[in-house]
Formats: sequence, C-alpha cells, structure tokens
Amino acid sequence: MSAKVTAACGLGWFCAALAGLVMNPLPGVAAESNLKLEALLIWGTNDAQSSDPKHKPAAPEVRKKLQELPFKWTSYFVINRKVLEVPAKGSVKVAVSEKCDIEVKNLGNATVEVSLFGKHEHVLNRKQALPKGETMVLGGNAPNATSWFVVLKQTEATATAESQPGK
Amino acid sequence: MMDYDSQLKVQARLDGELAAQEVPELEARLAEDSEAQALLAELEMTRGALAGFEAGVKLPESPELFWSKIQREIRREIQREIQRGPKPAEASRWASVFAGWQRWLAPVGAVAGVMAAVLVIGRSERAPEVETYLADSGAFTYHDFAARTTLVWLSYPADNELVDSEEPDTLD
Repeated sequence: MSAKVTAACGLGWFCAALAGLVMNPLPGVAAESNLKLEALLIWGTNDAQSSDPKHKPAAPEVRKKLQELPFKWTSYFVINRKVLEVPAKGSVKVAVSEKCDIEVKNLGNATVEVSLFGKHEHVLNRKQALPKGETMVLGGNAPNATSWFVVLKQTEATATAESQPGK
Repeated sequence: MMDYDSQLKVQARLDGELAAQEVPELEARLAEDSEAQALLAELEMTRGALAGFEAGVKLPESPELFWSKIQREIRREIQREIQRGPKPAEASRWASVFAGWQRWLAPVGAVAGVMAAVLVIGRSERAPEVETYLADSGAFTYHDFAARTTLVWLSYPADNELVDSEEPDTLD
C-alpha cells in the first residue's frame, strides 16, 4: 500500500478524532455546580392581545427563540415565570401553573433531567445538556388552536424565594 | 386507552396512508370513540401548528452516489495492490501484520474522514440545522443546532396546561 494512502487514512482518523472532540468535549471539563435556571410558561397564539391583562408579551429574545421554531404563532405571552436553583446532583420541582409542574434534576456537567407533570401525572422525562446559551422548550396544544410552552434555560440571575429547596 | 396500533392507524388516515380496506373500520371507530376523535383532532392541530417545518442534513449528492464513490475508490485501491504483486519475502513479520491492518485502515479511515467532514460541516453551515426523533409515541424532539434550541413537542394527549381557563378544554 502506498505511503499516500497510509497518510490519507491517517488523516481520516485524525479528522474523526477531532470531530469527536468537537461534538463531545471531554467529560469533567465543566465543574459540578448549582444550576440557576429560568422557567417561563408561555402561551402562543395569533391573537394580538391576551384576554388576561396579567399576561405580558414575552421578552424580545424569548420571542425570537420561539419564532425560530417551526410554528405559526405571531404572539407569545408570559403566563408565569419561575427561577430555580438546582443543587449539584439534586433536584427541584416547581409548579408553573395549577395544572403543570416541572422537576429538574442537576446531573452535573450542565446536564439536566426534566420531568413534566400534567395534573400531577408524569407526562414526560427528558435528559439533555443545557449549557448557558442553550434553550429547552417543552410545548403542546392548548384550546382554540393555540399552544403552551415551557421555556427552560440557564440564567445568571440569583435564585429567588420562588425556588424550592432540592430534594 | 387506545392501543398503539390504533393510534398509528389514526395517524395513517390523517396522512392518507391508511389501507383502503381499513378505512371503513377506522371511520366507524372515529364516529363512536371520543378518544379516537380527540387524537385525530390533536394530530390535525399539531399539523396546523407546524409551519414550514423541514428537517434534514443533506448530502451534496444522493447517498447512493456518495457511497458508490467510496466503493469505487476501495476497488481501485485493491486492484492496485493486486497489480503490484506479493510483498518481498524479507519483509518482517510485524511489517506484514501492519500491512494486513492497512488493508482495513484505508477504507475505514476514508469513511471516518468523510463522516467527520459531514459532522463538522453540518454543525457550522446552513441554519437551521435540525434533527428530529420520536422519543415515545406522544412526543417528538426538534433540535436546531444554529439556534441552540431543543423543542420537545407533546402531541398526545391533548390538554390545556396553561391556566384554569373559563373556556372549556376542547379536547378533554
């Protein structure tokens, strides 16, 4: 086999290893620490105004995030906002509405396991990395051809009294 | 609770993919079963809510053509090896072992390089770059790499998770 082919296959392996590092950085690089998260309950609709004056339009950056998703809604209203501080290896459960709770487990390395409860029944469990700048959106249909969303992301803000202690 | 096969049939009906002989049976069920009606309405709403969804990492050419190029290169290399004839007898034992591995390293290395290129290019170009998958029958995940956003959409069962609205839940 020629030296050129050997060099080419070596280059191939090198590229593969490099791509592996780019896609999955080495574990343990990010320190285990508390995660400060913001959870927003949002209503997506084509109505320009919400019938409830307490519902405020979503902040521009949140609205932009949601508009990047493949949905047709033109308006997004914030129904509720919670700030959670999830201790390392711990979990926090909060009610985002009377019918909907979320539980977030901090698995370390900015990875979370999110459980969604509807009417106190476990609906969904999802594990994923949620580093700063990454956003997780849970969503579903709401009455009258509208949608609900729970937007979850890391925040720099200090956890408030709204947070519940880790279990 | 509808079984999974029945749910798939409702989805197939919506997609126009249900076998003709199964349509009357499903229509009869839809006329009587409120849960089946709710599922159909939910799926219709979900389809309506999704606007302009188009997923996919695309190769610059068809996968068959892409793979055939790799295959041709492997065959060409094997032909070259055959034409060169056997290696000199004085080659050491370790050299021959390495040569045996090289036979595999070349094609596998080439494929690994191509995959690495697709992965890296796929992350850096064309927005939105998305992947979708069904984690279970009631939810799908949409990941937009460019926007760094993951959407988990719950399509079933339908419910109003927002607030205790005065309006009745349409799908309850």
